[in-house]
Amino acid sequence: MRLTDALRYYVNTRVMGWTAIRVNRLYSEMKTRFRKERKDSYTAPPLRISSRTKEMIARHYLDGRFAKPYRKVAWVTSGAPVEILNALGFHLFYPENHGAICGVSRTAEEISGEAEDAGYSPDICSYARTDIGSALSGKTPVGKLPPPDILVACTNICQTVLYWYGFLAHHFKVPLILIDTPFIYTEASDHSIEYVKKQLEAAVPIAEGVAGKTLDERKLKDFMYKSRIAMDLWMEILGRGAHRPTPISAFDQFIHMAPIVEMRGHSHTIDFYAAMLKEVDRRIAHGIGAVKNERKRLLWDNLPIWHKFRFLSETLGKHGVVLAASTYTNAWAELAPMIDPEKPFESAARAYLHPMLNRGAGHKLNTMRRMIEKYSLDGVILHSDRSCKPYSIGQMDQRTLLMSEYGIPALLLEADHCDPRYFTDARTTTLLMAFIEMLGQ
Amino acid sequence: MHEALTSIPCRREIIRAHKESGGRVAAVLPIHYPRALFRAFQILPVELWGPPEIDPQYSKAHLQPYVCPLVHNALSYITGPESEVFDLVAVPHTCDSLQGLCSILTDLILPRQPVFPIYLPRGRRESDAQFLANEFHALYRKLEALTSLSPSEDEVMACILREEDADEVLAELNRKRKFLPLCQRDFYHLLRSREYLPAERFCELAKSFLAKAENESRDKGLPIILSGIVPEPMSLFEFIERAGGVVVADDLACCGRRLYGPGEDNDVFRRMAKSILSAPPDSTRGSSIQERADHMVRMVKMSGAKAVLFYCMKFCEPELFGHPPLRDELNKINIPTLVIESELSEASLNPSVGSLELFLETILCG
Ligand code: SF4
Ligand code: SF4
Repeated sequence: MRLTDALRYYVNTRVMGWTAIRVNRLYSEMKTRFRKERKDSYTAPPLRISSRTKEMIARHYLDGRFAKPYRKVAWVTSGAPVEILNALGFHLFYPENHGAICGVSRTAEEISGEAEDAGYSPDICSYARTDIGSALSGKTPVGKLPPPDILVACTNICQTVLYWYGFLAHHFKVPLILIDTPFIYTEASDHSIEYVKKQLEAAVPIAEGVAGKTLDERKLKDFMYKSRIAMDLWMEILGRGAHRPTPISAFDQFIHMAPIVEMRGHSHTIDFYAAMLKEVDRRIAHGIGAVKNERKRLLWDNLPIWHKFRFLSETLGKHGVVLAASTYTNAWAELAPMIDPEKPFESAARAYLHPMLNRGAGHKLNTMRRMIEKYSLDGVILHSDRSCKPYSIGQMDQRTLLMSEYGIPALLLEADHCDPRYFTDARTTTLLMAFIEMLGQ
Repeated sequence: MHEALTSIPCRREIIRAHKESGGRVAAVLPIHYPRALFRAFQILPVELWGPPEIDPQYSKAHLQPYVCPLVHNALSYITGPESEVFDLVAVPHTCDSLQGLCSILTDLILPRQPVFPIYLPRGRRESDAQFLANEFHALYRKLEALTSLSPSEDEVMACILREEDADEVLAELNRKRKFLPLCQRDFYHLLRSREYLPAERFCELAKSFLAKAENESRDKGLPIILSGIVPEPMSLFEFIERAGGVVVADDLACCGRRLYGPGEDNDVFRRMAKSILSAPPDSTRGSSIQERADHMVRMVKMSGAKAVLFYCMKFCEPELFGHPPLRDELNKINIPTLVIESELSEASLNPSVGSLELFLETILCG
């Protein structure tokens, strides 16, 4: 590594880029402070922390943009054990988060169209399609993506990542580390934990080879420790959703989950969530709800419909309906207790085996039931996401059982998390209205 | 159908005979699983590749329309009256859809039979082989609890050796395919009888055909390679034949991707694991695109194929991701390719027949 590379990186990011982003944030905070609250809105104004979320994401993408040649870049799945990579100084890029940004900015259709033009079927996951389209065409709403030096795919969310990262490895001609996590029905077998642990250990020399440095165990433990603190904070924030009125909705959670996915293990992520928790507590103290005149509280299951955020929050908010909890955002909180920095490999093996998507349909149903009780929910919206089979298979029975055995109204809403072609406003409005009516007064 | 093929007993007969002899029968979903282990417990594995032409009415109440037809049909079949003959269901975690099916069967739908998941690792590293061996060991314990039998290592090894013989005969059938007095559909009918015949019966039958091998190739038509999951409906072969093509090799999950070599290990569980991991590249087992492309290019060169037909199940992600880069690699060696989608029924295949004819015709004329 040359000194000039380091200099260029720090000047472009920390000195110039971060400063510009910070000024932008301060300006937007100032504007928010003086902006009058819209009386006609059905929802509370966005959390003040939102400008910091934007700042963190912007900085992260900026770091990526100028990472090369100073820092090595790893592209990773959302469930990948990233602490090893963090400790080795990699810049981490999450194609799924990038997919979400494309979804929110409504560029996913155009970018995934590039993949479809190259022969990729519209029936494959729209995150993957968007990412492939971006890799093939260079199109992205964030300026420029840093090409990977290494890929890490963990099957604890789906098998789709296996084929998707297979494409990336072929396209970018870089090594792919696969962490295969056997599915859990009741509890993880000893040989499954051992298997994952061995793979994590085997990943170290490969990642070290690419990084050009040796893994420092103290750093690894530190990242695990900080990951755990950040996850604990995230869990506390989500738990505040149990208050009436709920201070943060699932929509807020979707927006503010990026740091816990992309930047866990860093001190600034801990500071960020500590500040967010304070703000949420302030809302509770002042009786501010995410939805004005909260009447009904629902659980959201599956990924968000990124391209229909405002439409959904307004349509529900108008009728005093708040999404007080979500199985999706919960996924990044529930693993925290399993992380033990003193046993980095063994505890990571255990934790990364246990995301909800790597567990049986019965476990998810029980999680939903527990959440319904904890958050005093009146019903469930199950987003049947045609892109995400692992999350969606089982929802039809889960819905039937929620209704028949537990008397919980549940709606199955067909859509796609990124692809707008499978969503129509009119049909969704009709469905939601009928469902809200069913929830009663 | 070739006269001699009429002597292949059908699934029903085989199941009945096995049950009459006091054995149990397992319905096994695709793709890879330890046949020998089931046989050691006197359980006959009978594979369910769909089955085709099933009314998916039942599954529609449990699975969304964007789940592949194979999984839809399998669920309808397992929960339907015809599956009563099965004593257990085994579901390898081949893909997200089969994993999801196994999960809802186990936790939510609860069919009559016990359901046994089999997790297959996605690599070929030593850790993968050891994990798979441990999985098979765990399966041994479950089958022991189900049947109250405890086959010894020698007994399991005897079953393994029998399956290895059958695998060798299967490979020989593939090597000699063009010299056998069978049309394409009949040839695949013979190959696929391995999906339910006991290994020893399969060997006997296959050897009787190998003995009839001729000296001259019977292949007439444009040589092609067929890639995909399962060639259902089997009328596909007639369409190919009518369009002037002949399948000279395949990369089908139910056939060519299961040409297992012997396991080469004295431990029975490791031997079964290593055998499965020795199979040709497969999208569902984490083979890289390059491995798959190299394998296909090798097949093209060895078989003299002039085109590749990707016959894909609707919504099958493992396959869909592979098509564009594999087609690119094949194009580099001037091998034209075509992708057609099907849903395990004649009705879904018919609209693609025109493009298949056009594809082969263009190559034949060119
Ligand atoms: S299939 Fe689902 S879990 Fe997998 S990458 Fe796509 S959205 Fe994520
Ligand atoms: S056809 Fe494809 S998606 Fe369906 S079960 Fe087979 S591998 Fe899975």
